[in-house]
Amino acid sequence: MSQKPLELILARNLMSALSTPAFLVDEGGVLVFYNEAAGILLGKRFEELGTVGPDEWGSMFGPFDQRGEPIPYDELPLVTAVRDGHPAHANFDIRSTDGHHHTVEASAFPILTAHGSQGAIAIFWPTAQMNGNGAAPA
Amino acid sequence: MKVKLWGTRGSIPAPGPETIRYGGNTSCVGVTLSDGSLLALDAGSGIRNLGLALGGEPARLHILLTHLHLDHIQGLVFFAPAFRPQTELVIWGPASPEASLRDRIARYISAPLSPVEVRELPCDVSFRHCPETEWEIGPARIRAASVAHRGPTLGYRIDDGDSSLTYIPDHEPALGADLDQLEEDWISGFELARDTSLLIHDGQYSDAEYPDHLGWGHSATSHALAFARRTAARRTVLFHHDPLHSDAFLDQLEATAQEGWAGLGGVGKAVAIGAEGDEFELPADLRRPLATPVPAPAPSPAATA
Repeated sequence: MSQKPLELILARNLMSALSTPAFLVDEGGVLVFYNEAAGILLGKRFEELGTVGPDEWGSMFGPFDQRGEPIPYDELPLVTAVRDGHPAHANFDIRSTDGHHHTVEASAFPILTAHGSQGAIAIFWPTAQMNGNGAAPA
Repeated sequence: MKVKLWGTRGSIPAPGPETIRYGGNTSCVGVTLSDGSLLALDAGSGIRNLGLALGGEPARLHILLTHLHLDHIQGLVFFAPAFRPQTELVIWGPASPEASLRDRIARYISAPLSPVEVRELPCDVSFRHCPETEWEIGPARIRAASVAHRGPTLGYRIDDGDSSLTYIPDHEPALGADLDQLEEDWISGFELARDTSLLIHDGQYSDAEYPDHLGWGHSATSHALAFARRTAARRTVLFHHDPLHSDAFLDQLEATAQEGWAGLGGVGKAVAIGAEGDEFELPADLRRPLATPVPAPAPSPAATA
């Protein structure tokens, strides 16, 4: 097991203390951590899921655009941040494990160091929750 | 490999009758490699005495700086070999996006803080950013890695033959983290210290003092012990003592640390408070029983996924 870069370690430590949902990917786009608040949003704790490769996590929880169409992995803010090295922001829906959809705003920014990109961090802000049929709960 | 502590204090020199046994000089450790090459780890005020002890030797010397806080560089302008034309001095340190290592050190070795400028040093001095990958000095393999402290800060590991020394004098790996529960690859400095023969580690605060210094970049005693336990360091020396800590206080802290180490499954005198003048010979000391390896906590499902 190779040592994580210090910047990812510090990011994880910060995220662990936040009540705002937050995701962390490494420089290869592997999802290496999300915090408890994100676990509540997704319906699954990170400790239950573990690290997830870039081909998987993008589709595990959606995401969907406002018309309910899946958003391509390459267009997600977190992917833009880690690939292109600049911040990105988007509104979209995600699906938690209980089938509910959540509308979120997501802001992602790259973790750049003297040694180049080490990954990216994304903060999610839930703006609405809908039931499994796409309707807002009564 | 021989190791000698020339300065064990953190923050600011603390000379006086109350610190005479553990010493008042700031961070500096001398390392003599198996071929006789000499390294100095940090250049706090302790490096002044190291320089005086060298006499006219050696002609070539490497100084490995963990970071550029004053207590780690303040001895540079009082280091006698730097003022001898026959000395070749290689100073290693962390890179920074802001300025080169030379320019950052020159802020200290320049007016009005210093009577001499870097360009006026009579020795042959060069400045090198530590590479991300391992490099060699004489028979030793050197590794540097960023560690949790304020500002760009490195820890070092020196492997020479079968022995290894890990030096992380300023380190707060437990900031926002539970060292007993974290997977090892998420612990700052872990790879530097894994199975090391001798770990010289930050132990600036007692557990009672730490809450008032959260985020200052230093460890409480229990954090240093937890780090040593997780990394399976064979011997641990607590270092970078707070300037307010008297000899009597550090005696008590050592007793507490050894009690804590025993509670973690350690044995013997494998944990000690570093004192100025302490010397360690590696690997000769390793023949003695120092510590019983303590298994790490079972990894979470996330660590094995």
